[in-house]
Amino acid sequence: MIELIPTSFIFFLMAGILALFPHGVIRGALLLITPLLAVFHIWYIGFGNFWPYEFFGFDLELMRVDRLSRIFVLVFCLASFLGNMFAWHVRDTTQQVAALLYAGSAIGAALSGDMISLFFYWEATALASVFLIWARETEGAYHTGLRYLIVQIGSGVILIAGVCVFYQETGEVSFNKMTLESLGTWLIFISFGIKCAFPLMHNWLQDSYPAATVTGAVILSAFTTKMAIYALARGFAGTEILIYIGTIMTLFPIFFAEIENDMRRVLSYSLNNQLGFMVVAIGIGSELALNGMAGHAFAHILYKALLFMSVGAVLYRTGTAKASELGGLYRTMPLTAIFCLIGAASISAFPLLSGFVTKSLTLSSVAVEHRTIIWLALVFASAGVLSHSGIKIPFFTFFAHDSGKRPAEAPKHMLLAMGITSALCILIGIFPATFYQILPYETDYVPYTFDHVFSQLQLLLFALLAFAILYRYGFHPAEIDATNLDTDIVYRKWVPSLLGMLVLTCKKVYLGLIAVLFKFLEDILRKLNETHGPKSLRVIGYPSGAMVVNITVLFAIALIVIFVS
Amino acid sequence: MMENKKDDKLMKLPRLGRWLSWVDKPGSSNKIFIGLILICFVLLCFDLIYPKHGYVEIENIRGFYSLYGFIMFAGLIFLATLLRILIKRKSDFYSPKDINSEKYPNDDIDPVNHHD
Repeated sequence: MIELIPTSFIFFLMAGILALFPHGVIRGALLLITPLLAVFHIWYIGFGNFWPYEFFGFDLELMRVDRLSRIFVLVFCLASFLGNMFAWHVRDTTQQVAALLYAGSAIGAALSGDMISLFFYWEATALASVFLIWARETEGAYHTGLRYLIVQIGSGVILIAGVCVFYQETGEVSFNKMTLESLGTWLIFISFGIKCAFPLMHNWLQDSYPAATVTGAVILSAFTTKMAIYALARGFAGTEILIYIGTIMTLFPIFFAEIENDMRRVLSYSLNNQLGFMVVAIGIGSELALNGMAGHAFAHILYKALLFMSVGAVLYRTGTAKASELGGLYRTMPLTAIFCLIGAASISAFPLLSGFVTKSLTLSSVAVEHRTIIWLALVFASAGVLSHSGIKIPFFTFFAHDSGKRPAEAPKHMLLAMGITSALCILIGIFPATFYQILPYETDYVPYTFDHVFSQLQLLLFALLAFAILYRYGFHPAEIDATNLDTDIVYRKWVPSLLGMLVLTCKKVYLGLIAVLFKFLEDILRKLNETHGPKSLRVIGYPSGAMVVNITVLFAIALIVIFVS
Repeated sequence: MMENKKDDKLMKLPRLGRWLSWVDKPGSSNKIFIGLILICFVLLCFDLIYPKHGYVEIENIRGFYSLYGFIMFAGLIFLATLLRILIKRKSDFYSPKDINSEKYPNDDIDPVNHHD
């Protein structure tokens, strides 16, 4: 019975049913029940391969449940449940349907046993999620959504191109571990890299997530990038280059996040940095590292959603998420402030919270392999996380200078969603051994050793001290309403300008050539006119009467010759 | 719309908000600052005496995490400040094809004042 439909289809089915019901409690309940049904489904169906399917002669497999895919499906369901609870007040059918289709597609991708179904789900996430941006219904959001869609669909196109080449090379479409040695695998790798926000391919993330609706950003933060992390872990675990890509990913966003004014964009940079830790773990590829990757992805989805929720709640109540317009909101939004602090402490990996017990798996996997430089970079990036997500988000939103705004506390359903997410962050932090049981590999890792807790506390508290000193003495960069350039300037300004210049230059060259050609023809005509025209010397020197005489003479000669012969 | 700073005394803040407002009392920030310095001092002192068992050699240097955390954090802030000089533009730089200079549409939000 339970094997009747794949888990992802529960979401698709419910998305169809949802529109039949009027707005209100029933719809809200359906949005909450769907992910719970999916959790039940994935848990009780057990491990194995289900739903084999023949498609144009290819053997597809819609459900491959193992420990790696199951943890991602579980956290996707959890994120969908919490996101939908946070969005209880939303009455927009488009957003509600998109939220379900998006979650279902990401879950489908995580369960795909072959790369053709992966491609369909891959593109479906792009198509469904863009409506969470367009739902904002402003000109800026429309253009941002288009940019987002081009990148996301582009990633899918590269994926299917890679799959085609890979099939030609190997005759296989099943989705298993690959090595980067052929054009096909490189294309697949790049496709995953785009959605995973690799350096220089990352800017769609910081461009689009802040443009989503209040609730849309919470939902967006969970799926696309973690789906890509899963795909990388499944396809390219142990690929050395990922260690270096991941390290760069952990580092560069922390500088941008530090000076960004839009809090949801700060969180997007922070998301990019967190993905870096997971990518490094995939690159290391050991059991400890892959456990770190999966655990970190699970914990990260929760605390990142919590941070997006708290900033979203502030946006919902004040109409802005800009640090330069916020501050001092703890007075009237104290619960939201506390939930935000829990999220901030979790992402900063304070002991007793989820970030500590998951990120330490990754850091330990790097340390065990004695990769000192990578390890130093990741520890630095951890201090960077504290800087923008741990301090900047809660401090400049809820504390710091008083903006004078006195918004009401977030609505009850938002508080409930934030409360449950906070509780999960704390529970994972307090009971890591229970949490570790759902990781891809069995482990007896103990995060709470004296060395570990003590060193982490030192790192965080001394970084906090540095902040306190810099802030106190006015060295901390002020919150300024500005646009900070990133690599997206290449395709938002430079390439269009370059193309514009190119078009103008081509036009000028074309017109110039035409002018030269016309002048040339004109010169020839003029010359001909001068030499052979009615007033030319040649014509004046040879009057028409002379020509008649010449022809007459010619005819006479011809006549004589014919007569004689 | 929500510029109600002066009405704080008249307005009843939530109990948790009143409790948290200790941080804004005169002298509180000094207490927090000094408290933080003391905790850091104790951590650093203890770091100098306890036996370390790090996987990476550099971890076993006395005071490594404290110094690394402090220096790298400060370095990050200074470098980010320098980066801002290079990449800062007006907020409507990409306007109108960007949300940065747009007002968030009212249909999707519920800006209620605390005292309403």
